[in-house]
Amino acid sequence: MSSQNGGDEDQNGDAPEAGLSERRAQLDRMLDDRRVEEEKAARKSQSNSSGYAQAMKLSSEFIAGVLVGAGIGWVADQWLGTTPLGLIVFLLLGFAAGVLNVLRSAGVVEQPGAKGTSKEDVHKNRPD
Amino acid sequence: MEAEAAKYIGAGIACLGMGGAGIGLGTIFGNYLAGALRNPSAADGQFGRLIFGFAVTEALGIFSLLIAFLILFA
Amino acid sequence: MANDPIHQFQIQKIFPIEVGGMDFSFTNSSLFMVLTVAATSAFLIFSTSGRGLVPTRVQSVSEMMYEFIAGTLRDATGTDGMRFFPLVFSLFMFVLVANLFGMFPYFFTITSHIIVTFALAMLVILTVIFYGFMRHGMKFLKLFIPSGVPGALIPLVTMIEVISFLSRPISLSVRLFANMLAGHITLKVFSGFVVSLSAMGALGIFGAILPLAMTVALTALEFLVAFLQAYVFAVLTCMYLNDAIHPSH
Repeated sequence: MSSQNGGDEDQNGDAPEAGLSERRAQLDRMLDDRRVEEEKAARKSQSNSSGYAQAMKLSSEFIAGVLVGAGIGWVADQWLGTTPLGLIVFLLLGFAAGVLNVLRSAGVVEQPGAKGTSKEDVHKNRPD
Repeated sequence: MEAEAAKYIGAGIACLGMGGAGIGLGTIFGNYLAGALRNPSAADGQFGRLIFGFAVTEALGIFSLLIAFLILFA
Repeated sequence: MANDPIHQFQIQKIFPIEVGGMDFSFTNSSLFMVLTVAATSAFLIFSTSGRGLVPTRVQSVSEMMYEFIAGTLRDATGTDGMRFFPLVFSLFMFVLVANLFGMFPYFFTITSHIIVTFALAMLVILTVIFYGFMRHGMKFLKLFIPSGVPGALIPLVTMIEVISFLSRPISLSVRLFANMLAGHITLKVFSGFVVSLSAMGALGIFGAILPLAMTVALTALEFLVAFLQAYVFAVLTCMYLNDAIHPSH
């Protein structure tokens, strides 16, 4: 690289200022191109290697929602003696929460408190 | 047969319904993938409907899980 | 039995200690936790003790880890969240080194026990809750009420949001635990095939090549999973901390 630069300098030695800025612009362009390519490659490799990880993530998010709902419902039943209402209601709520978790980690719905979009989806996806 | 044993068998049978939900999810995701491979540019736009189909299908599976839980714990 | 795939997860007491009827024994799990912490701190202290302007090889490794986690945290939470850097970095290093330690033969994988991962996840979630209430007071509860919801739906949506929040430590811990447990059981089962096949004479030894190749491939995959799970843990920690710092964007 440096030897090439040296050669260039020799060639346009008569107008060093114009040659330098021109060369700098060219270098910038080259760097930009390369950076874009590198970023693209990095993103591609990332998405390839983490497909399995993402699947694990999504399914565990969903299952965790359902399990927590069922757990809360069961505990509420034990305390309040509302068997079996608590389990039914909270398992369904837990299901909705699980779907919300999946949507959130898939990036379809924004993080909590962002906008009204989450409510629409939750409402639509409610099973009952 | 004791009532306790019948309870566990019933819970097991109730969970068979989740198999149906599993088949349905396979159909949904398989067809989504087939469609996405034919027209990749339209795939991202249909992701919301994919999740909607997933939720509705899985809801039926959750109902059978709910019945199993009810038999077991309630 | 040596071929039992679950045997590697058994906890053995090394120094039985009992205080007031409670079991505080120093087990092999505790031993490997101590080893993990010791190895991590020794590596980081040793590698950064030179403080060279031009980093040596080891120093650049620890600088890379620092930059990696710092970048992740800054992306997720902004400069405000950098006060949590020690927490996130320690968690990441602990999980990563514990996962990698588990890859040594005859070593104990502490992250394959759900109580360990659950304790780590609860640490994160409790930090989020305490910091959220400390900094925002009751406004932190706005996290559970999405704006722009019609009045009649608010109780329902809030309930769903609360369950969604509560499911976070579960999914965080179950993911790490299930990955490590399943990976190590698969490895053990396939290497068990090698042993039992090669005991069957010449044809068996020939047949054992296939599970051996599988074991090698799985080992490589497990190293990937070990890193990936530590990374996922750190990323999700950052995301949850972001909720504590900016509850309503």
